[in-house]
Amino acid sequence: MKLKDLSRVVRSKNAGPLTLSVDILFDSEANYLTACASNGLSLSALARLLDRPERDIRIIRDPRARAIKVVLPRAVVAGGVGDVDVYGAQHHAAFLDIEV
Amino acid sequence: MTAIERLKKRRRHGQSSLKVLSASGQLGYGIPADSLRRGLDWNPDFIGCDMGSIDPGPAYLGSGQMATSPQLSKRDLRLVLLGARQIDVPLLLGTAGTAGARPHLDQTLAMVREIAAEEGLSFRLASIASDISADAVLQAKREGRLQPLGSGLSASEEEISASSHIVGQMGTEAFIRALDTGADVVIAGRACDTAIFTAIPQMLGYDLGLTMQMAKIIECTSICCVPGGRDPMMAVLGEADFELESTNPERRATPVSVAAHALYEQSDPDIVHEPEGTLLLNRALYEPIDDRRLRVSGGVWDPADRFTVKIEGARRVGERMVLLAATADPGFIAQLDTIVPAVEGIVRTMVEHDFLLQVRRYGAGALVTPKPSQAAPSEIFLLAEIIAERRETAKSAISVFKQYLLHHGFPGRLCTGGNLAFPFTPPELDGGTAWQFSLYHRMDVDALEPYFPVYVQDL
Repeated sequence: MKLKDLSRVVRSKNAGPLTLSVDILFDSEANYLTACASNGLSLSALARLLDRPERDIRIIRDPRARAIKVVLPRAVVAGGVGDVDVYGAQHHAAFLDIEV
Repeated sequence: MTAIERLKKRRRHGQSSLKVLSASGQLGYGIPADSLRRGLDWNPDFIGCDMGSIDPGPAYLGSGQMATSPQLSKRDLRLVLLGARQIDVPLLLGTAGTAGARPHLDQTLAMVREIAAEEGLSFRLASIASDISADAVLQAKREGRLQPLGSGLSASEEEISASSHIVGQMGTEAFIRALDTGADVVIAGRACDTAIFTAIPQMLGYDLGLTMQMAKIIECTSICCVPGGRDPMMAVLGEADFELESTNPERRATPVSVAAHALYEQSDPDIVHEPEGTLLLNRALYEPIDDRRLRVSGGVWDPADRFTVKIEGARRVGERMVLLAATADPGFIAQLDTIVPAVEGIVRTMVEHDFLLQVRRYGAGALVTPKPSQAAPSEIFLLAEIIAERRETAKSAISVFKQYLLHHGFPGRLCTGGNLAFPFTPPELDGGTAWQFSLYHRMDVDALEPYFPVYVQDL
């Protein structure tokens, strides 16, 4: 199954102009746990997907919010020369087809 | 008796809960008036609103301009000012005019004075500036008191000196000093969104952890609800917990919606850094009261042993021109990787001064790198951008680039009438001045007060 079919929300947004934060929210405990256990959302898989070193990526699991959060430095400072997404709101797309 | 004195008196006489109305998370984009009316009818003890953020990018901080339209900003300001004065409670507004620097604060204060004159309102107005001089930042850097909040900004002495505006995010103490003047209305420059809602509870002796936890949730109004929205949010702060309810009956504050909101725009959901300490949320508790009201508790406040100020700066990069064009030619699309540098080379021989060229290919990897298996797009949109020190250079470069790209020859070319479809003329648009962030740092300071002076005026 793909992440977009298992999750309720996949959103990305700046956490300040230097950091990007991707939140994946689930409707049920079962779906949340499935995603937590999946290889597609492991640190090494995300590093490959996002073409970033593992040390740049932080994964936070929050059972209360039934959410998985992925935090990484922005490739370009928000609104700087060469940026394509000032709010960082379209970086979720890379996550949608992750196999979970 | 001023509005804040009355709150203090009621607290002394045993009032054990405080009704807080968060009227807007982005004042100037249109507050839903019906919802605000319901919030005012609920008789809050004070009203807070946020008017800015760093999210819209460096242009506003750099230029001193507001992101919201003057008309809508004044409409929203009128709604909250009239509302607060009608029920005679304090009104606190943070990050005036989008970025909170001097020009933003001045534009917002001018609107407040105009509205007061037009509506015949009379009240004590306090304003708090948040501008930080480049010299103060340079000194902090030399003394090792300047720390980056991530990677990507060098904060060289040149970058700091070139910043057109630098602001610091004020915390709770600045709002308390403003309220101590007996102000009915406080308009602040760059402020932590939480400080808007923590100053009065702290003056009245409510628990700091709970207060900060509440502030962090309600500052975005009803975005913490399902379905999320922009309607004002109500909170009742007690001694051991607080209760949340949206002013819009269709919006429900649920344990999952509020817990998920705590994640939003945060790099760590359990730890929130503020100038005067850290909010710890690992023991946060969310209990439904009914299907749309929520009781929250568990926030713990860890005061800092040293004050820090988060500072933001922006500097001019140059003058920007953009070209809007599209193409449906498969050969041209396939060979763009060689065509664009070739045309750029030609432009550089024609235009005397240096410039920066960036071509974004929408539909062909501008945002997401296409997978190798993906079919070639049938059409793409090209956004070409030139940034140069002088506007004349940018204008020359973009026009030459447009014409040479339109008629550039490439192997197998069939479309000898032109490679591009322009949506209108002129397809080159003036993008104004280009800005970038120069500072997003933490500055250690001995005292907060000198950085955030309070001014008082009786209207």
